[in-house]
Amino acid sequence: MADLLRLKATSASPGTASGPAYLAQQHRAPLAPRQGTASAKEALAAAIETAIGELERLAGSESAEGRDIIDFQVEVLRDPTIMETAGARIAAGMNAAFAWVGALDGYIHELEAAEEEHLRARAIDILDVKNRVLRALTGTRDEDFPAGSIFVGKDMEPSRFLAHDWSAGGGVALFNGSAVGHVALLARARSIPMVVGSGHFDIAEGCRVVVDGDAGAVVLEGVPEPPLSAVPRRAEASWRNGGTPDSGEVRTADGVPVRLTINLNEPAELDFIDPSTVAGIGLMRSEFAVTSITDAANEEMQLAIYRHVLEWAAGKPVTIRMLDIGGDKMLAGLEEPDSQSAMGMRGIRLLVARPEIARVQARALLRAATSGDLRVMLPMVTFPSEVDAMRQMFREEAAQFQRRSVPHHIPPIGMMVEVPAAALMLDEFATADFFSFGTNDLAQYIAAAARDSSDLAAYGDKARPALLRLLSQAMKLAGATPVSICGDMASDPRRLPELLAVGLRHFSVAPTQLPAIRSAIAGLNADGTRAAGE
Amino acid sequence: MTSGLRKDLPEAEPRHASCQTEVEVKHGVGLHARPSVAFTRLAKSFPCSIEVAVNGGDVWLNGKSIIKIMGARIRKGSILRIRADGILAKEAIRALKDLIERNFDEDKKHGRPA
Repeated sequence: MADLLRLKATSASPGTASGPAYLAQQHRAPLAPRQGTASAKEALAAAIETAIGELERLAGSESAEGRDIIDFQVEVLRDPTIMETAGARIAAGMNAAFAWVGALDGYIHELEAAEEEHLRARAIDILDVKNRVLRALTGTRDEDFPAGSIFVGKDMEPSRFLAHDWSAGGGVALFNGSAVGHVALLARARSIPMVVGSGHFDIAEGCRVVVDGDAGAVVLEGVPEPPLSAVPRRAEASWRNGGTPDSGEVRTADGVPVRLTINLNEPAELDFIDPSTVAGIGLMRSEFAVTSITDAANEEMQLAIYRHVLEWAAGKPVTIRMLDIGGDKMLAGLEEPDSQSAMGMRGIRLLVARPEIARVQARALLRAATSGDLRVMLPMVTFPSEVDAMRQMFREEAAQFQRRSVPHHIPPIGMMVEVPAAALMLDEFATADFFSFGTNDLAQYIAAAARDSSDLAAYGDKARPALLRLLSQAMKLAGATPVSICGDMASDPRRLPELLAVGLRHFSVAPTQLPAIRSAIAGLNADGTRAAGE
Repeated sequence: MTSGLRKDLPEAEPRHASCQTEVEVKHGVGLHARPSVAFTRLAKSFPCSIEVAVNGGDVWLNGKSIIKIMGARIRKGSILRIRADGILAKEAIRALKDLIERNFDEDKKHGRPA
């Protein structure tokens, strides 16, 4: 056996994984300079050509009827007036994807409203080419790394994690990174071992690395890993069958009911969760399901995702948070330089500033709302006017659907409470239908300590009394409006006594933490004190 | 009526012209998807601009746009005015008129009576 080198790191997701190292920086492709009007038009023109090419290949194997449809679709793609409209939108500063969607939607709606059935039937053909071009516009994403390998790098983008096939196991070792960052959150939800803050280390691509997410260490072995096929498939989530079919309705030791829901990142996580063990989904982070600007422009794709989640929930409440873009969660293809700061143009601020993004999501949510008990949650709300602005968009889009006779329903609209200025003024938010505390951001803003810095992790812990005081006050200000908590704090059994004591009765937790939280609640009284005999 | 307006142009640009014609649509269901595709494809094969007005209306639609042509709800019996301006305008007008008068080759294609 070659020399072992054990490096101290911080655990971000428990478990141990070993595999060949994949060195992120060696593969980093330079970001294509896609700025400016000319290149946006070129990108759209290229995507249209790609779509035409795909259709023409399809036409070869089609029947005469199929070819007629494809001929029609190609003709739509070559329509000079559509390109003119889209070009004008791009010239006005719109992103290519939304310019394209905007140019076609008007025609689609016009056709849908036609009296003649054969005209109405054409709407779906145009919808189809619209989405084909959107897919082409997304282009090739960053190349995925080999399944089963250990991702080694300075940091990792959430979209990278999401695009990867984790079915063969593997892990993540980051030189920097943070245990409370979004990738760590995703890794915990998928039971992927991960460590952060190891500091820079040198290793050759393909050499064997062990990620010890329990002890917080990286072990380097100076030998190449055997071929990937030899890597055994890890057992998926051991907690899979550990749930209790109580529908997430539990009681404290002194009999006070508490509701347990789950936080969901990607719909794929639902495959491992039995809906009978939860009271629903307390937080679906839609930005992990909609990861590029072209997905954000794709109403039908979003509708399919939301419907899938609502169908899984089978009538239980599903709270979908609108795109929380910004900070460390960027939408691929979105150029918004001010949004990369945790205190910048992110969350609802970005949604209100970029209504073309918000309205597509609002439409998908309005349509999905007929498939179950949907609630919509707004991220990073600071002022009541932001809730009002979004509610207005929902009303306007609903009115459009009404005119077009598209089935829809306006869902309850609530908000994340994660900005101190909102938490201190909750009694002013009469138009929010519910509140949910996002303690990760709330803690970083209270302590003025960035959550993605491993050096500052201690600040968050030390500022907890301040956070709890704020929560307690906010609970009183919330009045009769339903309140829950969906931050990481709710998934930590050690924090439960404090959270019960401030009066919280609805916890939305990481699915992996469900059994631990369930049993912790049974051992506590509603005031947070330990039950007798515990 | 305005056909051959620029007959007096110098010989150097013999094919640049402005032309217009009028034709009745005889196709059973009017100008829907398949005939529209045939029309706009043919229109796009000419470099000149091509515009269409329906039933004496004064709205001129881009004859190369499938969306505009289909959206015009052209039916059996509709009178189309087609005008072309630029290179090969005369040829374009003749070809488009022919296409409509041939009933878009629909009968031939599907071997059934109109």
